[in-house]
Amino acid sequence: MSPDLFYLLVSLLFSIGLVGLLSRKNLFVIYMSIELMLSSVNLLLATLSKVLGDANGSVMALLIIAIIAAEAALFLAMIIHLYKEIRTIDADEFNQLSEAEQC
Amino acid sequence: MAKRAVVQNNMLELIIFSILTLFMLSGAIVMITSKQTLFSAFGFLITMVGLAGMFALLDSRFLAIAQIMVSIGAVVVLSLLTILTINARESNLPDEPNKYKWMVFSSLLIAPITFLLYKSLLTLNSNFSDMPTSTSKVVGELLFSQWVLPFEIVSILLLTAMLGAIIIVKDPRKKEEV
Repeated sequence: MSPDLFYLLVSLLFSIGLVGLLSRKNLFVIYMSIELMLSSVNLLLATLSKVLGDANGSVMALLIIAIIAAEAALFLAMIIHLYKEIRTIDADEFNQLSEAEQC
Repeated sequence: MAKRAVVQNNMLELIIFSILTLFMLSGAIVMITSKQTLFSAFGFLITMVGLAGMFALLDSRFLAIAQIMVSIGAVVVLSLLTILTINARESNLPDEPNKYKWMVFSSLLIAPITFLLYKSLLTLNSNFSDMPTSTSKVVGELLFSQWVLPFEIVSILLLTAMLGAIIIVKDPRKKEEV
């Protein structure tokens, strides 16, 4: 078992998250893509912790898990707030702050 | 004899890794492709379970338990609850006729970045060290000695996030009635 496979998995997961972030309009999918990218970084930290034989990586990953939880709470609260405003979860519809002509 | 046991152990690890990878990647792809938000959330759930398994495979037991308790028990369940509360109908979901086209396009755009990431990660040390399992004792000792300042900052961050979430969802129109 070599860490190369883990590196490959981390790269793939991060990229899938980035693709989801770029190509979807559903706010929930965008949120979950961001979570996926954060989690892939977590997996990389755990892998490096094992590679270097140092438990500091695990501690860092633990703190990142706490940050993920905070981000989730804020993002979901924001989605609920936006949904209450104009009843949609389409990310393209939220252009109230734009200077251009609103459609 | 001992060598054979090691080889068998490696084989077993590889099999578990393959199964978990299959779960995680298929969950992630279901997450970004499905139109129904609830299916995406289930794909996300599968990915997170697979990630907890990966942590266990990497000998970070405490991290695996924290992943199950926080990421699955709190974050995924919270997202599921929000999705079910909003309960958007099929017609209310965003209309994405060119979804797959955009996905292919952005995949092509991101593929070089993936390759670069993988190649640069490969330059790191490519052997696992024979370190003892990082149990909760080791992690806890580090967390409360070297990492105590980040730990406190994270606690403040969580408190702020909690307050922020309450303030964001509070309806400003309700205030006038009081």
